[in-house]
Amino acid sequence: MLYEAKRCGVKFSPPSVVLIYQHTETQKIRKRIIPLRNFSKYSDYSLAAERLKNNPRHRDYLEAVSQSQLEKLHIILRDHMQGHSLEHSLASFQLDPDQDLNKLDDEELARKKGQMDELFEKNRRHKDDADFVYDLEVEFNKSTREKCSWDDESDNEF
Amino acid sequence: MAGDADSLPELDQEKYDADEQVKIICLGDSAVGKSKLMERFLLDEYRPQQLSTYALTLYKHTASVGNKTVAVDFWDTAGQERFQSMHPSYYHKAHACIMVFDVQRKITYKNLTNWYKELREYRPEIPCCVVANKIDADLKVTQRSFSFGKKQGLPFYFVSAADGTNVVKMFRETIKRAVEYKQNPSDFMDEVMQELENFDLEKKEENSEADEDGLTAESPELA
Repeated sequence: MLYEAKRCGVKFSPPSVVLIYQHTETQKIRKRIIPLRNFSKYSDYSLAAERLKNNPRHRDYLEAVSQSQLEKLHIILRDHMQGHSLEHSLASFQLDPDQDLNKLDDEELARKKGQMDELFEKNRRHKDDADFVYDLEVEFNKSTREKCSWDDESDNEF
Repeated sequence: MAGDADSLPELDQEKYDADEQVKIICLGDSAVGKSKLMERFLLDEYRPQQLSTYALTLYKHTASVGNKTVAVDFWDTAGQERFQSMHPSYYHKAHACIMVFDVQRKITYKNLTNWYKELREYRPEIPCCVVANKIDADLKVTQRSFSFGKKQGLPFYFVSAADGTNVVKMFRETIKRAVEYKQNPSDFMDEVMQELENFDLEKKEENSEADEDGLTAESPELA
């Protein structure tokens, strides 16, 4: 990886994705602004995110930015184009651990997945990392385990 | 949309009758990380085939079990879990099942009951395991014991698709169990099918392509 993505966000005017990255050789921190010229309030956020990720001019910079995160940024931009506030967009990403995500449609689910992906990316070990172990095995002590409260209720048939 | 399953060689399920082919299915709620687990296990080999008509993603993998090379097809749901139930063809001829829940979301654990019930309707005997994903979010969960599947003796794994903990171990053991099951099926229907296959050896030529639906075709012929 030549460019290490540090942070990314959006600019409403003109609609753009903003990426802060570090050049891995020179260690210089730079900002890259990627205008989304063809993106409108009617566009498909998922397709647009995929196109951006595969765009020959940008893909090297966006390698470490997940598809879900790019989708999330596109959703924020589109919400804005449709007249929704940033607060509205951010609230829609909030995770409620008790919510049944099976019941959401594609877009609602994408909003939640984008949020989950942040933790995933934060804890992620990449195969290019020096300390990467493909077959990582960890034994967890069984004898000291306590009963999980999720099993308490009587509605559990098993 | 009504798709023509016969035109999709990927969905020719007859091939799962061949000795060196196994089919492993993934079950679990939306966003528990099923695809992320696949991706972590397969790494560079990761080339999913999206069959959106069927809300299905296929991943192909070649594994070594003992001294044999086995072609493994992993079936992932691609949103079909939205309907709280999978199409019967999803279970058809599966040799093992990986059931996943998210340790951050209790409902995904509770829903395992439904997934397991449905699995056993179609595949009463295939090996199955329970996978607790996203332990990187809070390692304390590994000090808890989750009782689901204990009675049935299902292997239980604490894993993280993000940092890789126990992902490869879980997949390797499941593949091994799938192959063992295939060599020695305890499912009555599987045995009947096997018998029919042997019986039909001489009649093979007469077997035409009469299946009208490759998705659910049960025609006993050698692949």
